[in-house]
Amino acid sequence: MALLDVNSPLIESNLSNPAFLRACDVSVTYPALHGRMSAVDASQASNLIMDSRGQVRGVRALDRISFELGHGDRMAIVGRNGSGKTTLLQVLAGILTPHSGRVEKRGRSTSLINVALGVQPEATGNRNITLRGLAAGRTRVEIEAKRQEIAVFSELGDFLDMPVETYSAGMKMRLTFAIATAFEPEILILDEWLSAGDSAFKAKATKRMNDFVEKAGILVLASHSRKLMEENCEQALWMDKGRVIEFGPVKEIIDAYESTRQR
Amino acid sequence: MIDYEILASQQRFTPTYVLRDVFDGLGRVQLWSAFAWDEIQQRYRRSRLGIAWIVFSFLLFVGAIDFFFGGFSAESGTNFLAYVAINYAIFLFLLSAFTEGCDVFRVSTNWIKSTPLPHSIYIYKSLARSLFVFVINLIVAFGILAWQGIWPTSLALLSIPAFFVLLLNAVWIQLVFGYVAARYRDLSHLVQSVSRLLFFITPIVYVRDESAGLVALVADINPFTHALEIFSTPILGSYPRIESWIVIAAFTVAGYLLAIVVGGLSHRRLAYWL
Repeated sequence: MALLDVNSPLIESNLSNPAFLRACDVSVTYPALHGRMSAVDASQASNLIMDSRGQVRGVRALDRISFELGHGDRMAIVGRNGSGKTTLLQVLAGILTPHSGRVEKRGRSTSLINVALGVQPEATGNRNITLRGLAAGRTRVEIEAKRQEIAVFSELGDFLDMPVETYSAGMKMRLTFAIATAFEPEILILDEWLSAGDSAFKAKATKRMNDFVEKAGILVLASHSRKLMEENCEQALWMDKGRVIEFGPVKEIIDAYESTRQR
Repeated sequence: MIDYEILASQQRFTPTYVLRDVFDGLGRVQLWSAFAWDEIQQRYRRSRLGIAWIVFSFLLFVGAIDFFFGGFSAESGTNFLAYVAINYAIFLFLLSAFTEGCDVFRVSTNWIKSTPLPHSIYIYKSLARSLFVFVINLIVAFGILAWQGIWPTSLALLSIPAFFVLLLNAVWIQLVFGYVAARYRDLSHLVQSVSRLLFFITPIVYVRDESAGLVALVADINPFTHALEIFSTPILGSYPRIESWIVIAAFTVAGYLLAIVVGGLSHRRLAYWL
């Protein structure tokens, strides 16, 4: 989608094997496992899947989503709560397998979808750096090489030797964001990742984001913050009830989305 | 790391996914051993005796069994205390494959819902933890043997392939019970109820060859009996019954076939069930 700037040396190194992320007709239905829903609940939602006897079988969370991102593409996802943003990110990250359709990707991807998940709360910050690094497929040597950088970026200092469960929400977020971006992923998938950060950290994170995108990475970011999306993304995907309403330049899409919200 | 990846699920049954998962996960040894080690430390942190609790609870149980039930056994040839110690150690390890298996994915929900990793790493993590406890218990059991003046002969080497086969079984047991319990939560309650019963229908506090009638029949049907036979008997100085090896071999093959079916049906659905 983005034009390829062949003069950039940073991109050149990736030319032989450029990262991409493609979603083709991706649909997801959450199964209704917790007993039957009553007909009253059912009538309120249009994306419920019913069987022939009128029982709720599941909730359609994503309905035939398609898009394609190449290297250097930065896409924001906008939509109301419950529109399927997080589910889409989970599918792109490889955590959920779509019920139909497919996701194709090339490149190491890192996802930061829920800051509270993917950490061992009883373990120290340093130990979590090791665990997340190993989970990302890095070797011990690579992890040690990044430890100092993570410590500096997260500004946690001696807190890195304390259990993560003693951290504030902002500290947890700084640590997980620092880890997620330290191992130089080619595809970065983020959900509401700055909600707990103060403005100084937001500025720092935005800068890191820009560095990352300049290295021809792919960024997918779901957010409610207009500023954040405009600063970090060039395209936007507007979702509602699991469907794509519109896809286009970030400013136009957010304008269109916000105008419907005000009505 | 995976360089190019396609996630697609038009098909409802994906046995190749789960097979690849089991092998991919095995290769991530640094990750699952780190997880396992953290959990072991976590469990005994802030307790004064720490890991000595494993030794203490094992000794207490084996000692009590010997004290209360020692008189029941005619103890043909072998020492009852040594018999209980070895059998109880391997029994605890095998039982944990079932009980921990039911929780193996549920306790890792946090990671499964946030990080795309092979599911089998959670199984290997759980097994590594059980193995740690087993090794300690086994050392204590060998200590009891030495104390009783029993020195294992070269016949005991037969226990090594036996243990390897039992370990292979623990993998499929955790996989099958993990997936099924993630979908049907009743399974872990069932396993808990049955596990208490298993202690009595497995020849730990009695000797199979000395029992008769219904007790012997139940013991013969119970796969645990055969698992204990192939592992413990060589350590205690006799050849295991060949029937027991046949039963365990058949159990292993059937188990892996079951794992392919259950895993093939469940692998892509797990994150939705948790």
